[in-house]
Amino acid sequence: MARYILRRLAFSIITLFLLVTVVFLITNVFPSDPGRQIAGPFASQEQVDVLNEQLGTNDPLLNQYGRLLRSSVTFDYGDSFQVGQPVSELLWPALGRSAKLVLYGLVLTVPAAIAAGMFAARRRNTFIDRGIVTLGVASSSIPEFVSGVALQYFIGVKLGWFEVLALAPRGSNLITELKHLTLPALSLLVVYFGYIARMTRAGTIQALDADYTRTATMKGLSTRHVMRRHVARNALQPTVSVVGTQIGYLFSGLIGLELIFNYPGVGRLIYNASTSKDFPLLSAGVILVGIIYMICTLAADLIIAWMNPRARLQVTS
Amino acid sequence: MQVPPPDADGAAAAVEVDAAVAAGDDVIGEAGPITGLAYDMRGERRQAARERRRLLLRRPGFIIGVLIILTWIVCGVGGDKITPSDPLVPNDTSSLSPRAGHLMGTDQLGRDVLSRVMAGARDVLIVAPLAATLSVIAGAFLGLLMGYYRGWVDEILSRLVEVLLSIPVILMALLITATLGSSKIVVIGTVAVLFTPIVTRTVRAAVLSEAQLDYVTSARLRGEKGLFVMTREILPNITPTILVEYTVRIGYAVFTVATLSFLGAGIQPPSPDWGLAVSDTYALIPAGQWWPTLFPALAIASVVVATNLVADSIEAALAA
Amino acid sequence: MDWKRFDGVRHNVGPVHLDLVESYAQGRISRRQFVRRGAVIGLSVPMISAVIAACGDDDASSPTGGAGTPGTGSAPGTTPGTASGSTTAPGTGPATTLVGGTPGGIITVGAQIPGALDPIAMQDLGAYGLIAQCFEFLATLGDDGRIAPGLAESWEPNEDGSVWTFQLRQGVKWQDGSDFSSADVAATMDRLVAAANAGLAGVIEEGAVDATDPNVAVFNLAAPNGNFPALVSVFNAQTPITPAAFESGMTLDGAPNGTGPWKLDRFDAATGCTFVRNDAWWGGQVPLDGTEFQFFDDLGTMLTAMQGGSVDALIQFSVIGGDALLSSPDFKVLDIQTATHRQVWMRTDEGQFADKRVRQALALTFDRDQMLETLFRGRGNIGNDHPIAPFFPYFDESVPQRTKNIDMAKQLLTDAGIDGLSAALQIPNLQEIPELAQLIVAGAAEAGINLQIAQESTQTFYGSQWCPGEPADPPCSGAAELGIVDYGDRPTPDIYLNAALKTNGIWNSSQYSNPDLDAAFSEFQSSVDVEGQKAACKTMETILNDEVPVGLPFFYNFLSGHSTEIQGVRITGLGQMFLDKASRV
Repeated sequence: MARYILRRLAFSIITLFLLVTVVFLITNVFPSDPGRQIAGPFASQEQVDVLNEQLGTNDPLLNQYGRLLRSSVTFDYGDSFQVGQPVSELLWPALGRSAKLVLYGLVLTVPAAIAAGMFAARRRNTFIDRGIVTLGVASSSIPEFVSGVALQYFIGVKLGWFEVLALAPRGSNLITELKHLTLPALSLLVVYFGYIARMTRAGTIQALDADYTRTATMKGLSTRHVMRRHVARNALQPTVSVVGTQIGYLFSGLIGLELIFNYPGVGRLIYNASTSKDFPLLSAGVILVGIIYMICTLAADLIIAWMNPRARLQVTS
Repeated sequence: MQVPPPDADGAAAAVEVDAAVAAGDDVIGEAGPITGLAYDMRGERRQAARERRRLLLRRPGFIIGVLIILTWIVCGVGGDKITPSDPLVPNDTSSLSPRAGHLMGTDQLGRDVLSRVMAGARDVLIVAPLAATLSVIAGAFLGLLMGYYRGWVDEILSRLVEVLLSIPVILMALLITATLGSSKIVVIGTVAVLFTPIVTRTVRAAVLSEAQLDYVTSARLRGEKGLFVMTREILPNITPTILVEYTVRIGYAVFTVATLSFLGAGIQPPSPDWGLAVSDTYALIPAGQWWPTLFPALAIASVVVATNLVADSIEAALAA
Repeated sequence: MDWKRFDGVRHNVGPVHLDLVESYAQGRISRRQFVRRGAVIGLSVPMISAVIAACGDDDASSPTGGAGTPGTGSAPGTTPGTASGSTTAPGTGPATTLVGGTPGGIITVGAQIPGALDPIAMQDLGAYGLIAQCFEFLATLGDDGRIAPGLAESWEPNEDGSVWTFQLRQGVKWQDGSDFSSADVAATMDRLVAAANAGLAGVIEEGAVDATDPNVAVFNLAAPNGNFPALVSVFNAQTPITPAAFESGMTLDGAPNGTGPWKLDRFDAATGCTFVRNDAWWGGQVPLDGTEFQFFDDLGTMLTAMQGGSVDALIQFSVIGGDALLSSPDFKVLDIQTATHRQVWMRTDEGQFADKRVRQALALTFDRDQMLETLFRGRGNIGNDHPIAPFFPYFDESVPQRTKNIDMAKQLLTDAGIDGLSAALQIPNLQEIPELAQLIVAGAAEAGINLQIAQESTQTFYGSQWCPGEPADPPCSGAAELGIVDYGDRPTPDIYLNAALKTNGIWNSSQYSNPDLDAAFSEFQSSVDVEGQKAACKTMETILNDEVPVGLPFFYNFLSGHSTEIQGVRITGLGQMFLDKASRV
């Protein structure tokens, strides 16, 4: 297991290195004049030159690349073009808020989705099964921003059950914060419920049909015991894998939701950085989300390896 | 069709199982690639294809999906020739709720929402399939190379694919449009580039399992060139996998393009594009005007659901 | 006419004031125009009342009270100008009498995310609104929506309007405890000159303020200017007085030390900020304990927050999407008549619009009434392709209004030998501009003009489509041939003319150059009497309407508001909300 973890970690580090390179290539291959972007159209060329000097955009590309690589280790990306504050000071609090939302969304989604998926698998081809599958496909086709707006209007404004905006006043307790976060978390649920439920269903069906399950059933073990002992353990592997990979994608789904619910998380920060061409903040944000994705897939892989020793052998994809 | 491998292939596995799942049931397990020697395969393949077509047409999901897509194609091609009124011309009757004469109401500038939803099909139907097509062509090419030749090219490209997969598509698209500016071409290119690794991964996995089979080995033994083996032997056999991947990609492309136009990339007003319409009007929902937002949103959902239905049906037919 | 009373007034005013008083007495300007202009040049409120009383009050309303309804075109049920729930003695500047409210508590305001809080360099309403909480202006917002004494208690010009003397308020302290004096004013003005403030450039130069007497600031202008006090008022948002030790580039959150009623307590660029009461404020104790500003990305979300009850007041909202608020009994709309407008610029020096007939043709396709109705539910004034709003005292109404005329537009295009005109319309993604652009495109199509909208984020737009930095000489010569750009509210049209329409103006995206217009503008600026200004305006209006370097379809009102659970909120058309008299009901 230790060897597996080490090899898996090495892959992650190579991947991170390549990610930084890709981001660097995208932001530097194309000509841009950050100094002009910051100083504005009426600044003199001297002012712009001074700014470019400060930002280091006049340095040779290799130096800039080295700097970005160093930044990715120390996570010191310098100052944001637009706000003037260090990028990390902007990113960390935003990331904390987004993580809170994602976590809450997962807590709502995953148990419900797993329960529904297993339920559907055991009633294969019945009306309920078809219903869950079809609903799952339909709901996950709706972009987050659409379901977010719908929930905001119907549940937040019309019914008044939950707060319409995601950020609770400072110093609120956890209950109040959760009340504020419920609508965006539910919007995440709408999209990811169907996806996770279908994965669980597929995994469960596969496990139910597997020889070990038939053997266990034929041995006369109770359905409950079989489901828990044999089916669940195997059926949940694809689910864990999907939840792991989906967390990274959740962060992009957050952009629309954080705009609609006015939540100052990392998605909104990256979006604003992109429209205002705030490249230090944008690059750092994209790299950060990439790192989160890698950590989550790594965690998912390790959990699966723990659940299924055979998987440890298949390191390369 | 592969069993979802319990490895790191989250995204690829997800897509594969995804299609399998909705298709139903007993498709889990080897889909049984057609084996045998090259010379007696052609006829068999044709017969199998006929059989699949027959199966496809008997699936209600396929019929419904195709009908929905055809409807949108008709709307997109017909454009303002078939809409009840001009989708671009504002008039004095702004913000009317749905009623006779304006079945979906009018938007904030007084344009007929029904006409705009109909005409709005065009942008999505061009941009999304184009992006998906490009990604499938590039992905199939790379996947074939990587899966067939293996070795260091495969190693490097695999890592690169993994990196690209680790960045959510929307974020990468924001990074690219911020650098390159936003136009339809940029959006098509971006989505195509970002989907390519996903296709590559699926195709590579399919090629890997094919490459071990007898017919490939025998072709090699006959001394066939790599290009011939890849295009004449392997490609026909993994075409079903690519086809399924393609329909699934179109569905995701609609989703992604709609999200990008919601975020303001690539499409300019007064285009009746659905994503743009939603982003222009969602702020009106609290004011009670849900119709300019809801109908284009439903249109987006309908296209994605329809392509999913078609993809699932094709998958199931191939598996049978 | 009460001649005795009138004579009494005449003996008590300076020459510039006298000129205005006589213009009014002789009926050459309306009562509204008199009041508006009187406030600018420093006539005290009792004096204005006395003049009106002497001349016989021909209008039903008094000049001060709630009659802030200058001009025309406001929808019924609104109270332009006067954005105050409670009333206090008019014109006496801030005072803290609480009428019918509950003292204590805090109010939460929904605001847009501000840019850097540098008072000298800020450019956005978000920053304007926050800066105005802590820092104060020589002339502030009166209860009547016009300028009123702020850090200066009164002001007066010399005979030709080239020297303005401001008597400063005494006993004012900075929040760090030090005394406020004319040295602070002088230092602030020097910083503004160094930063080429759009309103003060060319009006004052470095060292313009004589600060010999700590209680008096004497401004020696570069040239006579009849509108000067407006340029150092709350309406020139970058001119709040900052301490002498302040430097350009310092921000409010970095150095929170103003003279105002609120002290910055906490600031977070992503979420919002809070202010606490400044107990040492010269205006006395304010009713509220503090205020909180919550930041929003867009007006739509802010609107939702208002309806969900998360915020008590909104800095701004738009009519589109704001219908529910406009008709809600729980919401008080603050509807302020402003000169805010959009300019549809057309390059006059090159390209497809160089022929003025083509420019006229495009302007003739505007359905101005429909634009105002659809985009603003009629809350605003129709424009006539020049930036002199109809409610300015020196507006000349004799220039005929251009209205939609497709036949004439087609004829003009034919005359100009144009067939199948096709152009890109460059716009920023800002407020209602995308919607306006779609209306323009549809109108133009009727005359056979094919326009394609090219929308960009605001930052990109200003730097590449509107006024690219290069080529820098003449300014804006890299501008696109056609586009829409936004202009915020100003108390006088000086900036619009100086920057956008004068030869080589820094924002002259149409590259317009006409010596006759430049001459008329100089005449306007140096006139210290309304009649001179009006004559110059007639010339400018005629030239601009005929040559159409910019299409200007409307001026629109600034919409703000608050829940009926609070009262006493005032706001300017630049998003500066005054909460020193606000309280919970």
